[in-house]
Amino acid sequence: MKKLFIAILCFATSWAQAQEVVSAKQLLTNLAEAVHSRNFDASYVVVKGKAMEPYRWLHGKKDDIEVEFLSLLNGAGLEMVRVGNQVTYFEPQSEPYAIDTDSIAGPIPEVLFKDISVLESHYDFVLGGKGRIAGRAAQLVRIESKDENKYNYWLWVDVESSLLLKAAFVNQTGEMLEQLQLTHLSITEEPVAQLLEIAGRDFPKALPKVTTQAAKDAKDNWRIEWLPKGFELLKSDRHKLDLNNELADYYLFSDGLVDVSVFVQRPLPGKRPSGALTSGATTVYVHNSGRFDVSVVGNIPAMTAKSIAESVTRPL
Amino acid sequence: MTNANKHASLEQTTSDIFDGEVGHSFEMLNGLEHDKFVRYALIGDAMRAENEKSICIDITAQVAAALESEPTYNMSHNEQASDIRAEAVNDDVKSNVISLARYKKPLAQFAIAASVCLVALVGVNNNTTQSELNNTLPSLQTMPLTGSVSPVSLSTEQPAIENAAQGLRELQQQRIGALVLEHQRQSRMAYALQQAKQLEEQKKASDVTEEQN
Repeated sequence: MKKLFIAILCFATSWAQAQEVVSAKQLLTNLAEAVHSRNFDASYVVVKGKAMEPYRWLHGKKDDIEVEFLSLLNGAGLEMVRVGNQVTYFEPQSEPYAIDTDSIAGPIPEVLFKDISVLESHYDFVLGGKGRIAGRAAQLVRIESKDENKYNYWLWVDVESSLLLKAAFVNQTGEMLEQLQLTHLSITEEPVAQLLEIAGRDFPKALPKVTTQAAKDAKDNWRIEWLPKGFELLKSDRHKLDLNNELADYYLFSDGLVDVSVFVQRPLPGKRPSGALTSGATTVYVHNSGRFDVSVVGNIPAMTAKSIAESVTRPL
Repeated sequence: MTNANKHASLEQTTSDIFDGEVGHSFEMLNGLEHDKFVRYALIGDAMRAENEKSICIDITAQVAAALESEPTYNMSHNEQASDIRAEAVNDDVKSNVISLARYKKPLAQFAIAASVCLVALVGVNNNTTQSELNNTLPSLQTMPLTGSVSPVSLSTEQPAIENAAQGLRELQQQRIGALVLEHQRQSRMAYALQQAKQLEEQKKASDVTEEQN
């Protein structure tokens, strides 16, 4: 009798777990669909330590073409406009430029607007509790890293509209490092007038799609021996950085949720120790390996960034 | 209380209400003249620059009228007209892309080029590198820690070392700023790149299966 009971219990828990995974994933799928199909006007803030960035986020559909607008409201500002499959970035320090892609790379990881099943091999989707966020009923969904080398990403999804209400990068001890919180959300039948007006504007032509082949490939210049599981090389080249005109061998990696940049540069003069700087979830690890400097930038723990930076060697 | 006193205190209350120094009640509000109320509200708003719209007095009509009657100097009618046309053409060209961006003058804003994120980061950086540098640059520690250096004992090398250390800090800060900005920019393309890569892989896979067939 006891055995039977245990067997039933085991079955029940595994069944419940299976159900849970399905529904957590379903919630994320619904979220991806909702951000593409609804007309909404939202405001959110991103809190990184003591710093705070307020954003306005508009989305709507005009004649079946999606129009999206994301604007950083503080400082010199930053505006991102998406019309259909083209995103244009307006930055304070440079000419506007456009990229052929169907989602804005803002503070919300793009994969959440898409098919999140690409994350399944390296992250678990877990249902959390219910709560009230931005005055609405919200369901917590946790995207948990399968190993300790990456942060977890928690999302609170609006029960009614399936839109995102809150999101946070959470470290392995459960501490929230960087939070994104909606302060206002209104869902409308028709897109707001501002969007319709933006949709009628002219935008610069998109940059040529993938320029990796055209640029000098730097793949073989350095060997990056270690990366957390799931990270793939997306791009490598040698180019000058915009701000200080310094030459760098550049490598871009992604695991689908977070992006990591690796820079190899000539060393700066003077003896300097290696070290990490953090802002919210973003880590900058500068490794001084003597004859060259390796810097790693991305939303990863400092220890991970350190391991990546220290694994860079000259090719044999 | 004399009349004058009463008047003065009323003024004071009005002003206080708008400065948010006292809570107000209906009785108090009733005691104020409507004009004065509006005026004080306006002054308050202007001082706090709270609501630019409310103090937007529309004088465009008057200005336009004044300009109309303004005599023109050193310019024939033809020149004037062509000038206006040239401007109009210019406007047409410009309005193409920059209409959204008020960022057309990038150089002026280069100082604030770093986004909010960047500033925050460099802020952190400031502290850490400073202490780190202090630890590793013994030359800096030759500085007297307390009191000021008297002009006589001031070594001529000191400012040079200081400048060098400062320069290095700035160099490193600048580099870190550039790295973060570059990461932000590059990661905008990450998703598109990933999709392109996946498509390529799928294509390869389908090619292989076709060959096998």
